[in-house]
Amino acid sequence: MSEVLVLVENTPQGIRKSSLELLTAARRLGSPSAVLCGAADDAAVASLGEYGAATVYVVPGTDGYLSVPAAEAIVDIAGRTNPVAVLVTSGPIGKDVAARVAVRLGAGIVTDATDVRSEGGVVTTSQTVVSGQWVATAQVTSATAVVTVRPNAIAPEAAPATPAVQTVDVAFSAAATGAKITASNPKVSTGRPELTDAAVVVSGGRGVGSEEGFGVIERLADSLGGAVGATRAVTDLHWVSHDLQVGQTGKTVAPSLYVAAGISGAIQHRAGMQSSKTIVAVNKDPKAPIFQVADYGVIGDLHKVLPALIDEIGKRKG
Amino acid sequence: MQMVRFVLGLVMTVVCLGLAGRRLMFLYRLGRTGQPVEPGRTSDTGAAVRAELAEVAGQRKLLRWTVPGVAHFMVFWGFMVLLFTVVEAFGALVWPSFQIPVVGNWPWFGFVEDLFAIMCVLALAIFVVIRIKDAPKNLGRRSRFFGSHLGPAWFVLFMIFNVVWTLLAFRGASINAQEVGPSGKMRFLEGAFASQWFAKLFEPLGQHTNEILETVLLLLSLAVLLVFTVFVTYSKHLHIFLSIPNVAYARRPRALGGLLPVYSNGKKVDFEDPGDDDLMGVGKIEDFTWKGLLDFGTCTECGRCQSQCPAWNTGKPLSPKILMMTLRDHALAKAPYLLATKGEDGEPTTALTDADKAEAQRPLVGPEGDETASVDEHGARGVGAVPFDMLWSCTTCGACVEQCPVDIEHVDHIVDMRRHQVLMEAAFPEEAGVMLNNLEHAGDPWGRGASARMEWAAPLDFEVRQFGANGEETIPDDVEYLYWVGCAGALDDTAMRTARAVATLLHEAGVEFMVLGEAEACTGDPARRMGHEFLFQMLAMQNVETLNTAGAKRIVVTCAHCFNTLANEYPQVGGHYEVVHHTTLLARLVAEGKIAPVHRVDAATTYHDPCYLGRHNRIFTAPRELLAAIPGLRVTEMERTKEKSFCCGAGGARMWMDENLGTRINLNRTDEALGTKPDVVTAACPFCITMLSDGVSQRQLEGTAAETVQVADVAEILLRSVKPEDVPTPVS
Amino acid sequence: MKIVVLVKYVPEPTATWKFAPDLTLDRGAVEGRLSELDEYAVEQAARLQEAGTASEVVFLTVGPAKAVDGLRKALAIGGDSAVHVTDAAMHGSDALATSLVLAKALEKTGFDLVLTGMASTDAEMSVVPSMVADRLGINQATFAGALSVEGGTVSIKRDSEGAVLEVSTALPAIVSITDTNPEARYPAFKAIMASKKKPVTTYSLADLGVDASSVGLAAAAVKVTSVTPTPARTAGTIVPDEGEGGAQLAEFLSSRGFV
Ligand SMILES: Cc1cc2nc3c(=O)[nH]c(=O)nc-3n(C[C@H](O)[C@H](O)[C@H](O)COP(=O)(O)OP(=O)(O)OC[C@H]3O[C@@H](n4cnc5c(N)ncnc54)[C@H](O)[C@@H]3O)c2cc1C
Ligand SMILES: Cc1cc2nc3c(=O)[nH]c(=O)nc-3n(C[C@H](O)[C@H](O)[C@H](O)COP(=O)(O)OP(=O)(O)OC[C@H]3O[C@@H](n4cnc5c(N)ncnc54)[C@H](O)[C@@H]3O)c2cc1C
Ligand code: SF4
Ligand code: SF4
Repeated sequence: MSEVLVLVENTPQGIRKSSLELLTAARRLGSPSAVLCGAADDAAVASLGEYGAATVYVVPGTDGYLSVPAAEAIVDIAGRTNPVAVLVTSGPIGKDVAARVAVRLGAGIVTDATDVRSEGGVVTTSQTVVSGQWVATAQVTSATAVVTVRPNAIAPEAAPATPAVQTVDVAFSAAATGAKITASNPKVSTGRPELTDAAVVVSGGRGVGSEEGFGVIERLADSLGGAVGATRAVTDLHWVSHDLQVGQTGKTVAPSLYVAAGISGAIQHRAGMQSSKTIVAVNKDPKAPIFQVADYGVIGDLHKVLPALIDEIGKRKG
Repeated sequence: MQMVRFVLGLVMTVVCLGLAGRRLMFLYRLGRTGQPVEPGRTSDTGAAVRAELAEVAGQRKLLRWTVPGVAHFMVFWGFMVLLFTVVEAFGALVWPSFQIPVVGNWPWFGFVEDLFAIMCVLALAIFVVIRIKDAPKNLGRRSRFFGSHLGPAWFVLFMIFNVVWTLLAFRGASINAQEVGPSGKMRFLEGAFASQWFAKLFEPLGQHTNEILETVLLLLSLAVLLVFTVFVTYSKHLHIFLSIPNVAYARRPRALGGLLPVYSNGKKVDFEDPGDDDLMGVGKIEDFTWKGLLDFGTCTECGRCQSQCPAWNTGKPLSPKILMMTLRDHALAKAPYLLATKGEDGEPTTALTDADKAEAQRPLVGPEGDETASVDEHGARGVGAVPFDMLWSCTTCGACVEQCPVDIEHVDHIVDMRRHQVLMEAAFPEEAGVMLNNLEHAGDPWGRGASARMEWAAPLDFEVRQFGANGEETIPDDVEYLYWVGCAGALDDTAMRTARAVATLLHEAGVEFMVLGEAEACTGDPARRMGHEFLFQMLAMQNVETLNTAGAKRIVVTCAHCFNTLANEYPQVGGHYEVVHHTTLLARLVAEGKIAPVHRVDAATTYHDPCYLGRHNRIFTAPRELLAAIPGLRVTEMERTKEKSFCCGAGGARMWMDENLGTRINLNRTDEALGTKPDVVTAACPFCITMLSDGVSQRQLEGTAAETVQVADVAEILLRSVKPEDVPTPVS
Repeated sequence: MKIVVLVKYVPEPTATWKFAPDLTLDRGAVEGRLSELDEYAVEQAARLQEAGTASEVVFLTVGPAKAVDGLRKALAIGGDSAVHVTDAAMHGSDALATSLVLAKALEKTGFDLVLTGMASTDAEMSVVPSMVADRLGINQATFAGALSVEGGTVSIKRDSEGAVLEVSTALPAIVSITDTNPEARYPAFKAIMASKKKPVTTYSLADLGVDASSVGLAAAAVKVTSVTPTPARTAGTIVPDEGEGGAQLAEFLSSRGFV
C-alpha cells in the first residue's frame, strides 16, 4: 500500500486533535506516515500510533521558521516515498506548506476539504465553496494529491499500530530559512480583542433586559475569546458604550463566529454583521428575523441558554 | 437759504449715493466671480413677474407667519408709498412747492401717504415687541434670531423710525411755512393727517421759525434716508434691493423635489467622460453660481428657516440661516483675493494682506473632527468656512426652502458642497461609506443583494407577477402598473409589511401590477443626497435602461424617496414615466369604490407628512383622504403638519449616518406624535416608519409611551379596514 | 523599491453565483469586482508609496477581459500602472497554473516586494502567495496582520494561536496581507477619473512565454466532478430550548471548531 504523508502537530498538551483526524482520513487512502517537525517524545509517537501511523518521520531544525522548512522536509520525504497524498490541516501554516509542496511535486491541490476518500484509486474530496452555498466534489489526477483538510470535519477513529520512527535530516535551502521568526509575543489577555478585528463577536440586544443583564454577554465573549458587540437599542440605553454598536450606523464586522443574543435582527443591525461566516442566535421569539440569517438558533431565554453554554464551554476546555 | 439748502442737499446726496453705489458695484463684481447659472433659469419672464407679484408685492411667504408677516407687509408697503414722500422731499429741495404731477395735489393722496407712514411706525412697534420677546437672550437657540446680527437689526429699526418721523416733521413744518406756488395751494397736505399733527406742534413757533425748521428738517430727513441707504448696502438689509432679482431668478416652481444635475460653467457634467477642468460641485466659494452668491447676500437673517430646521431644533451645528450668513461672510472676506487682478499663473498680481491670503487659502468646508469648529451666536467658525458637521447634519428636508421669504435655495447649495466633498475629496461621515459600497456592489443600501429582493412577497397568498419570470421581454399590456417596491419595501422587515399591504390592496381592487424583482436596484436617492452624483448616475442609468427596455409607463411606489427620484430626477437621465405614490392610487381606488374600507378601525391616529412626499412633492391630501375614509378612525393633526411638517431624520442619507450630535430628530418628532395620544402613528414612507418606530420603541422602553402604540403605513391601516383577517399583529 | 500587488477579479459576493456546464464558476453570468480581501494589500501599497517607501506600485491580475475593471479600482486607490494577463487558454486553470502565470508575469515586470491578499473571495484557497514564492525562489511572509519595510528587510506581525509572531525576511519577498490591516480608502471620483489615465499593459500567455497547454481546464490536476447547492443558509438549524439549549449550542460551536 502506498504511503500517505500527514503533517502532524505536537503541542505540550499532546498531538493535536486535527492531526488525529488527518491520520484517520489518511487510512482511507493508504498507509499513513506522520511527519512531525521538532522533537518526538514517546507520548506523541504513542498517540500517532494509536491513530494508525505506520511511520513517524521526525524532522529536526524547523524551529524559528514558519512553514517553508516543513514543506521542504515533506518534499524531501515524498521524493523517496512517492506518496498518493499529502494531508495537512487547513490553517495558515497548512496552506503555506501545502502550496509549496504542490508546486514542487507538480501535484494537484485541494484546500479546505471536508471529506477525503479514495474512489477507484483516485483521491476524491468534498469541499464547500462560495461561502458554504455549494458542495463541490473533485478528483485529483496527479500522482500525488495535496489536500488541506478542515479541522473538525472528520471524526478521529483509533486504529492502533506500532510506528517506525525515522529521523530525517534535511538540508534546508536558503529560501527555506530566509524568513525568521524574530519574536513571539504571547497574547497577554489585555482585555477583549478589537471589535472589527475579532474572530468571534458576541453581541447582545435589548433582550438582555438591563445593564447588569449584559454581563452574561461579556462572560460568553470572554469564554470564547471574542469581542463584545451590541445593537443600537442597547447603546442608546447606555448599557454599553457607543463604540460597540454593530450595524448600519455603527461598526461593520465579519467574524468567523457571530453570536446574537436578545437581538431581533432589524436590517439596520444585520447590515453590520451579515457577512459573518457563522451566525448563532438566541432569542425567545421564534419569529425574530435574526433566525433567517442564523446557521444555528436556539429559541429560548438567553438568561438560561447562555449561562448553560458558558458552563459547557468551561467543561469542554477542562 | 434756498441756495444753501439745495447745495447742502446735493452734496449729501452725491456723497451718500456715491458710497452706496461704490459698494453696490463691488458687490456686483463679487457676484460676477460666481459660476454661470444653468440654462433656462433666467429666461422665463412671465414666471418671474408672477413670482415678483406673489413673493415681493404679495409677501406670500411672509404672511404665513401672521403677526410678523402683517408687520412686514406694512413696512414694505409703507416704504413703497413713502417713496412718494421721498420724491416730494427731493423735489422740495429744488423747488419748495414741488408736487407730484396730477395725483400729487389731491388731499386723499396726502392721507394715504401719512396712513402708510403711521402703519410703518406701528409695524416697527410690533417688530420691537417680537425682537424683545424672542430675543436670543431669553430663548437661546430656540430664538429664530439666534446667530443673526442683532445690533444692526436694531439700528435698522431705529433708522426706519427716524426716516418716518423726520419726513412727517418736515411735512409738518412745510405746512406751516408753505408759500403758494403757481399751481395753487399744496392741497394734498390737507389730507396728510399725521403731518398736520407736527404742523400743530410747530405752529406756535411762528412762520419764520417754521421756514427755517422746514429746511432743517428736510435736510435731516434726507440725511437720515441717505445714511440709511448707505448702511443698507453694507448690511443684511441689502435684501431690500436684492430680493427682487433673487426672487426673479429663483428655481421654479420651487427649489425642492428633484435636485439639479451637476453643472460646470453652465453646462451639465457628463460623468461618463467629464472634462478635465469640470467642477464637481462646489469646493470654493466662487464655485457657487452668481445666483448662489446672490442668495447669500439676500438672506435677511429672519431665521424663519432656522426655526423649522430639524437639525437646528435638535441641537446640531447647522442652521440654514447661519450657513447662509457664513457663506456670505466668507465671500466678503475672500473678496480681495477674488477681485484682485490675476497673472498668467492665476496668482494675484497685487499685494494682498496676510489676512486676505489666509482667507483665500481657507477651505470652504472644514475637515472632519475639527476641534475648533463651532456654531454659536457669532456664527460658524473653524478651520473651514463651513464646519464639517454643519454640512453633514442636513436631512435635505426642505423646511428652510419652504419658509424662506426671499426664495433662497439652501438644499441645492448644501448638496453642491457635499458633491465636492464626496467626489473630489472622498470626505464624508465614515459610516456612510458602507452604504455607498453596498449601493455600488449589491444595488441596495444594506448589502443584501438582488437575490433577496422577492423575499417580501413570499408570505402573500396570491402570486406577485415578476417581470421576466415567464420570459416576457416587455411588460404585458394587461399590466396597469409597474410596482416599484424599493429597497426598504423589499428588504426591511417593517417596510415589507407595507409592501405586502399595498400589493394585497391592489390585488383586491383588481389592479394588474408587476414588479421588477431582481432587476430592481436602488434609485440612487441616498447617493445623490450625499453628493455622490457619479454613483447616482450609475444607478439611475441602470434603472432607466431596465425600465425603458421593459417599456414601463406607469409606476406606483411606496417610498417617498423613490417617488421623488423616479418622478423628478429620472427625466434628467432619459426616464419619463407617470409615477404615482401608493396613497394617491389607493385614494383613487377608494373613491372609485374599487376598495371598500368597511370594517371599523377603532383607533386614534395622527399622520406624519414625509418630507419627500409633502413639502418636496405637495402630496398632502391623498393620505388624509385615505385615513378619513376608514370608519372609526379618529385623526388628530400634529401642530407641525403639511408644509410645516417636521422631518423624521432619515432624509439626505442621514439614515446611514450616526446621529451623535444633539438629540435625535426622530425622538423629537415621535414626542410630538405621541402628544396627540394616538393608538397608531401613521406615515407614508418606509424611512419615516423606521424612524418613528425606533422613536416609539425607545419611548416605550423609557415608559413614556404606551406599550400598545403602533407605527404603520397608511396602507396598512387601510388594509385593516378592508381585510382585517389579513393583517398580522403588527409589531411596533 | 518597486511593489507589485497581485489582485484578483472575483464575482460579487452578494450576487447569485452560477456554475457553467464544465463546472467552472460562470464568471460571465455575474457582476465582478476587485476581491475585497485584495483591497487591503492595495491600500498597504498605496500607503507605502505615500510614505515614500515605495517608488513604484504596479497591480497585476490574471483574469478575463472584464478583470481590467478590478485593476481600475485598484488604480483609483493608488499605484502607477497595471498589468493584465488575459488569455482564453486560462479558462479553468487551477492554482498551480495560475501561480505559474503570475510568476512569469512577475519576472517580466520585475519587483522588490510582492503584496497579495490573504485569500481570494471566490475560491478562498490562500495558496497562491506561497506558490508564487516557491516558483520565484523568493522569501515569503504570509498572513501579515501588520507590515513594515525598512532598508532591504520586510517585517510582519502574524497572528498565531496564543502569540503574535514577528517575522522578518530580506527582499525580494512576497507578503500576503490580512483583513486586520486598515481598510482601503473610499476613492474619490477624481481618483477614479485619474485611474483611467494610468497605463494598463495587457499580456497573453505567449507574451510571457507560457505554453498554453500547461494551463487551463484540461491541464488542471484537480477535476471537479460535481457541484451541488447546499441547503441555503436561511435554513439554519433552529431548536427550541427545552433545558438542553446551552449544551446543544456548545455542541454546534464545537463541531465548527469554536470551542
Ligand atoms: C437610522 C437608524 C440607524 C440604525 N442603526 C443601527 C445600527 O447601526 N445597529 C443596530 O443594531 N441597530 C440600528 N438601528 C436600530 C434598529 O432598527 C433596531 O431598532 C435595533 O437593532 C433593535 O435592537 P434589538 O434587536 O436589540 O432590540 P429589539 O428589536 O427590541 O429586539 C429585542 C429582541 O430580544 C428578544 N428577547 C427579549 N427578551 C429575551 C430573552 N430573555 N431571551 C432571549 N431573547 C429575548 C425579543 O424577542 C426581541 O427579538 C438603527 C435604527 C435607525 C432608525
Ligand atoms: C469554487 C472554486 C473552487 C476551486 N477549487 C480549486 C481547487 O480545489 N484546486 C485548485 O487548484 N484550484 C481551484 N480553483 C481554481 C482557483 O480559483 C484558481 O486557480 C486561483 O487562481 C487560485 O486560488 P485562489 O483564487 O483561491 O487564490 P488565493 O490563493 O486564495 O489567493 C491569494 C492571493 O493571491 C492573489 N491571486 C490569486 N489569484 C490571482 C489572480 N488570478 N490574479 C492575480 N492575483 C491573484 C491575490 O492577491 C489573492 O488575494 C477553484 C476555483 C473556484 C472558483
Ligand atoms: S433642508 Fe432641513 S435639515 Fe437641511 S438645512 Fe434645511 S431645514 Fe435644516
Ligand atoms: S435663509 Fe431665508 S428664511 Fe433663512 S434667515 Fe435667510 S432669509 Fe430668512
